[in-house]
Amino acid sequence: MHRREVLRLLATGSLLQLAPAKLLAVLRETRGLLESQTSPRTLNAHQYATAKAMAELILPRTDTPGATEIGVVDFIDLILTEWYDQADRARFLAGLTDLDSRTHARFGSDFLDCSSTQQADTLTELGEKMRDETKGSGPRLPGRRAARPTSFYAMFRHLTLTAYYTSEAGSTEELHFEMIPGQYQGCAAEPTNDAPEPK
Amino acid sequence: MSDENTFDAIVVGSGITGGWAAKELTEKGLKTLVLEAGRNIAPEEDYVEHVPEWEMKFRGMGDRQKLAEEQPIQSTCYACDEWSSKFFIKDKEHPYSNDPGKPFRWIRGRQVGGRSITWGRQSYRWSDLDFEANLREGIATDWPIRYADIAPWYDYVEEFAGISGEALGLPQLPDSKFLPPMELNCTERFVRSELAKHFEGERVLTIGRAAILTQEHLGRAACHYCGPCERGCITRSYFSSLNATLPAAEKTGRMTLRPYSAAHSVIFDRATRKAAGVRVIDTQTKAALEFRAKVVFLCASTLESARILLNSATPEFPNGLANSSGELGHNLMDHITAGGATALIPGNEDKLELGRRPNGIYMPRFRNVKSKHKDFVRGYGFQGGAHREGWNRGIVQTGFGADFKKALSRPGPWHFLFGGFGECLPNHNNYVELDKEKVDAWGIPTLRIHCAWGENELALRKDMATSAAEMLEAVGGKDVVPFQRQDPPGFAIHEMGTVRMGRDPKTSVLNTFNQAHDVKNLFVTDGAAMVSSSCVNPSLTYMALTARACDYAVRQMKKGDL
Repeated sequence: MHRREVLRLLATGSLLQLAPAKLLAVLRETRGLLESQTSPRTLNAHQYATAKAMAELILPRTDTPGATEIGVVDFIDLILTEWYDQADRARFLAGLTDLDSRTHARFGSDFLDCSSTQQADTLTELGEKMRDETKGSGPRLPGRRAARPTSFYAMFRHLTLTAYYTSEAGSTEELHFEMIPGQYQGCAAEPTNDAPEPK
Repeated sequence: MSDENTFDAIVVGSGITGGWAAKELTEKGLKTLVLEAGRNIAPEEDYVEHVPEWEMKFRGMGDRQKLAEEQPIQSTCYACDEWSSKFFIKDKEHPYSNDPGKPFRWIRGRQVGGRSITWGRQSYRWSDLDFEANLREGIATDWPIRYADIAPWYDYVEEFAGISGEALGLPQLPDSKFLPPMELNCTERFVRSELAKHFEGERVLTIGRAAILTQEHLGRAACHYCGPCERGCITRSYFSSLNATLPAAEKTGRMTLRPYSAAHSVIFDRATRKAAGVRVIDTQTKAALEFRAKVVFLCASTLESARILLNSATPEFPNGLANSSGELGHNLMDHITAGGATALIPGNEDKLELGRRPNGIYMPRFRNVKSKHKDFVRGYGFQGGAHREGWNRGIVQTGFGADFKKALSRPGPWHFLFGGFGECLPNHNNYVELDKEKVDAWGIPTLRIHCAWGENELALRKDMATSAAEMLEAVGGKDVVPFQRQDPPGFAIHEMGTVRMGRDPKTSVLNTFNQAHDVKNLFVTDGAAMVSSSCVNPSLTYMALTARACDYAVRQMKKGDL
């Protein structure tokens, strides 16, 4: 189906009768995908590999794709290169260096060379530090664009989660996002969910 | 003057009021020129509401460096994002100034459709609580109309635009001619019933009244709940001039729509003491052009209409056209916002929303309705609503790994927001003047804006935080957080006043039909005409006033009185 035809049908509402998944596929055809990322521009090979390991530890491959598969680190590199200002970029890169210093002090090696248990311990430690830093940092304010975090680990999580959940796989497979729901139900039943809310 | 530059009517602006003026005047038989300063918009190319985040380079975070460079002011508006920033002006091309320490945030859209493409769509009738307020309190000047004068025109515009909402029968917020309301979600229903118990019916929570169709209406399709209306709507389910009134005007065959046409000034004919037409700068060629007409409607937005009149000074009107009162440019208002509270509301953890409802809750004004408040006059309404938290709650959590990921795949707790919209008092000292030293990209003098919140507004904001927190505590909310931000005037994007209506030509610029006291074929029907600001969203009232003024103007023309 041609793009113009799709738009015409959409304007009349008749396309909305299609099953959402099919409709999404049709819509996707009508938009050009952005050029995919090439080699990293800000992260060096070691930093890239470290960030990749860390992101995969946060959002691993399960029955749905993990951070690596959807290219989280390419997005991080894009943000470091084109979005962050100098101060944010320096803070982020210093955070990666600090990560290795921590693992050297505790385990005698780079983060990348640590065992998975040691890596997990390190993330737990960073999490506790982040929690202490953000304690009493004010209310959750309304608005779609949440305030940008300033500590390395919060920055890292911000970029990792953003990259993942706004990716096609993250949106559609993980969150079951439908571009055109076609209806609003304010009190629908939650499908069975046995996962406890994280702390 | 060549025939091709001569019309029956000229409408300056193609936004929410310009669209209405275009529709009404052309349908009543007038050959009408609509001047739009910005570019044309082709919905099938420009609307981007169905472009998913993963097709956006910055995944919805916006091109930060570009926004900081080109749109430092505009990008502070939530709607000026990676998709919709093209519907906002480039700040560099449109400078303005304000007093040191008194910022005014001016959010603007210049394109066919104006800001009606990105507006919030909240649509409420004003009441006599609003129209009588100035007279009752001896503030500014009296409105020249009462609810009874405008009620039939609310009916008229609502029947065309399509307003969904719930009838409540409240005197302070008259019901519209409603399409079926959108649904409140479980937690909003819970909060509504709890508030009814705790506040004896004084604080009513209802679904927002919105210019969004909940059923097919006059050939426009019902909303399909994709969510981000500010990016456009290919099904034309929300009301904008681009989606509704301009196509109606186009259908008459009497509209000439001219984009890239920045109005410079109104041409005044000294012999007849009437407006002869409009001077325009073609923004592509920078050529100065003149268009003539029997009647001129300024619908350029509050501040732009004032600017055009200030820039139309003549020997007869040295301080701006139609300004014998000296009130032109004065009494600038905006709603005060940024006061409210948030909380988590326990319960309904097994329930969720399906679809993205482009609308929230509304709580009509409850202050100074039945009893008098000791700290302030007038009042505020609340907007907001309940939503389950999304994946981004995980950013500040400390978890990671498979269990963390699984938990984030489901929505989080119900989060509730009350955000106030408060009335701003008209004040002669909040005003704009022409800055001839500083011109825009087309050489047109810009505005110097002098505007600050007064004590009454700040007292309203304070009370918003207090009363919102009090309600969220009362309904059993957890982590209740009252907030007061210091947002400057302008940020509600409800700027009003500067060319006010009134009964007395000595104290007002426009009469009861939005007609300039001094220049009888000149009308101003956008937010500039407002005499007070109410606390409810103003666009529906602009629409009704515009349709009413067009009806009057055409009747006068037929009688030969214009």
